[in-house]
Amino acid sequence: MRPAPPPLVGDLVTALGAGAVKAAPLDKRLFSKDAGVTRGEVVAITFPTDAAQVSDVVRIAARHRIPVVVRGAGTGLAGGAVPSQPAVLIVTTRMDTVEVDAANQTAWVGPGVINLDLSRRTAPLGLHFAPDPSSQAACTLGGNVACNSGGPHCLAEGSTVNHILALEFVDAAGEVVVVGGAAPDPIGLDVRGVVVGSEGTLGVVTRILVRLTRNPPAVKTMLMAFPEVSGAAATVSEVIASGILPAALEMMDRPMLRAVENFVHAGLPVESAAALLAEVSGHPAGVIAEVDSIAEIGRRHGATEVRIAADEPERALLWKARKSAFGAIAQIAPDYYLHDTVIPRPRLVEALEGIYEIAERNDLLIMNVVHAGDGNLHPQIVYDGSVAGQLELVKHAAEEIVEMSIRLGGTLSGEHGIGLEKRDLMPLVFSPVDLDAQARLREAFDPEHLFNPGAMLPAGSRCFDYGRPVPDGVWA
Amino acid sequence: MTGLRSTVARLFGRITAEVPGAPAADFTLAPTTAEECARVLDVASEHRISVLPWGGGSHQGIGGRVEPDLLLVTSGLGGSSDDTADLTVTVGAGVTVASLEAALAVRRQTALLPESPGDATVGGVVATGSSGWRRLRYGPTRDRVIEVVLATGDGRVVRGGARLVKNVTGYDLPRLVTGSFGSLGVICSVSLKLLPTPAASAMVQVSDVSSAIGTAYHPLAVLETPAGTVVYLSGTEAEVEAQASALGGTTESGVHWPADPEGSFVVSIRVPPASTSEAVRRLPPACDFVAAHGVGEVRASLNPADLETVASLRSWAEGLGGAVVVMTAPGDHGFDPWGTPPPSVPLQGKIRAAFDPVGVMVPGRMPGDR
Repeated sequence: MRPAPPPLVGDLVTALGAGAVKAAPLDKRLFSKDAGVTRGEVVAITFPTDAAQVSDVVRIAARHRIPVVVRGAGTGLAGGAVPSQPAVLIVTTRMDTVEVDAANQTAWVGPGVINLDLSRRTAPLGLHFAPDPSSQAACTLGGNVACNSGGPHCLAEGSTVNHILALEFVDAAGEVVVVGGAAPDPIGLDVRGVVVGSEGTLGVVTRILVRLTRNPPAVKTMLMAFPEVSGAAATVSEVIASGILPAALEMMDRPMLRAVENFVHAGLPVESAAALLAEVSGHPAGVIAEVDSIAEIGRRHGATEVRIAADEPERALLWKARKSAFGAIAQIAPDYYLHDTVIPRPRLVEALEGIYEIAERNDLLIMNVVHAGDGNLHPQIVYDGSVAGQLELVKHAAEEIVEMSIRLGGTLSGEHGIGLEKRDLMPLVFSPVDLDAQARLREAFDPEHLFNPGAMLPAGSRCFDYGRPVPDGVWA
Repeated sequence: MTGLRSTVARLFGRITAEVPGAPAADFTLAPTTAEECARVLDVASEHRISVLPWGGGSHQGIGGRVEPDLLLVTSGLGGSSDDTADLTVTVGAGVTVASLEAALAVRRQTALLPESPGDATVGGVVATGSSGWRRLRYGPTRDRVIEVVLATGDGRVVRGGARLVKNVTGYDLPRLVTGSFGSLGVICSVSLKLLPTPAASAMVQVSDVSSAIGTAYHPLAVLETPAGTVVYLSGTEAEVEAQASALGGTTESGVHWPADPEGSFVVSIRVPPASTSEAVRRLPPACDFVAAHGVGEVRASLNPADLETVASLRSWAEGLGGAVVVMTAPGDHGFDPWGTPPPSVPLQGKIRAAFDPVGVMVPGRMPGDR
């Protein structure tokens, strides 16, 4: 006789149907981690199709006093979708509707819609969704909202939050709340702005109003090779200061160039210390002038090769090289740890030198791709997880990179998020009073810590008590 | 109040004289640091006295009227970082927009704050979430507020964000504070993203708005006034020239911005962008207005005695998910400053309580307060 399902699972099945709930051991294991290095315990996995079903799951979980963790495609790298304690998982992939409003250049989308699918769908209208994480072929818009995701093209267009006009979410009481709107400057506090990037800790987003961006009439992509990292970094600084706002400005260092070239055969300058991939887009007349300016600035800083993609296939190849950076690493070692910190742009050379020093001291291979235009570092530490002690060494080096970034005036994360991975590093950048304020903000949404407990804020953040008795009726 | 007055005088020294245009208050203080601000607010929360932060006074007409016990003037919260090489600046809330932009212009940089700021301060522009006309090209001010130091209603100094152009570390307090109208606390300083001034700019008069919007790529603004519609362009010389000739209207190099509509009753009509022309069509004849096409905002000067027109504009705008917000109104004007409050007002109240548990900050100002 089969064992009776635990009452929680039974309640979920009653509410959602058997096809929308999984609780078999293999499923629980499959959904216990994201694309990063942490793993957690899942009690049940649910696949609701709309806000009403999400509300059911939230209410059932609350009744059973089991936390709720939300997951899209599981491409996150910081453990934002990994339970820190046994939890019910809400997987958003069945919430995948798209309703485009071409006149207002917006779309209401479900959180389970895949980033690239949205842009493909709106391409006939000459529109796209601007944030383009490297995982865009797999990651969901709900995940982008949760992490305020970036991508190479965020340099000119801004991160996800700049492209989200309104959100529908289910709060900790199971109520459906809508914040924001298609009109400019909705009245009242910008709740939308704080739910974006909240890593599933404030509510479960069930619908998203995105702003779509007009496809640029002209695009030029170029690759410049430098014998010194400092020449590439100086080029970045001067391009940014010159008034050109490239659509993207990416740097790869020599170890990364070699790994990627082996993988995609794009004719990358593997003998160079660093290469810059720059893309300018906009009006054709402006694009031509800007490409010339960037090439001139690059040459002045020692660029030995300036290659301007002649056609769309060559442009696609250059981008494939950049976006394959993570896949290419698989050839070198079985595992990699993809890091994400930010520094002020003028400190780029110091930051890379610091990373090389940390790599050498810890006897690790670290390869770098950098969203150079906005100072967002992505060191990738390659290792073999089957070797005892390697992961610990990698995590130690990763922490050293964080500390160095902060010494240079930077911070913990530019686009991956804090999740479980960097939660305990938060006191490096925020005072106890700052963290307490964030914890209070979280409790304004979710007083019982139902949503993604343990993510983002370290334990004990809510440590200050300035509490004065609040008179009756003040906020009623 | 006499006892409190002597306590405040002992704690904070001088009690500043009256501020022109400000409502009468029992105390007027001008703290010079975030810590001093927080101490003032701590006392305010302890004694349950209501607080109205005051910058240049230029945006105080927005929202419900506040009758404060304490006027907290931000003019002493000055200072600005000299190094803006990373295209970011940290600036005190009391610094005026005009002086910040003038200092940046020398370096060929801009914070893209409102173009005709009058006496507005940086803190005031952030607190009211005000944006300039160039938001069509560069997005609203809130997209460029990257760090905030806030003295909370109960007297804590809280920092959120960082002086970095890209950052997802912690909740986005800078965004929450932008447009909060002082309801969470007093903004003491902010860091802003900057942009280099473009090499060239121009204005092109056009007759057909919708075809101009389709033709121009990433214009700074497309503004319609009773005098006509103008497309504002910027970029490289070559681009501006090519775009201007494609638009085909009378072109003038450089840009100058229209003045905000003047009058005793000015409203901001906010609708989804495609409804901007319809908003203009619904304005009464001979009214002064500026319409930001592509953005969805029309600022219009209306007759304060004609409540029927504004009420019908509001009901139309709210039907589209928008709003009609009063920017300026005569002192005794009865028209609801915000209109229908958003459904998230109960949640907003909880968020405010997390920063201002006693409720001393700007009581009456926000949607749903009255």
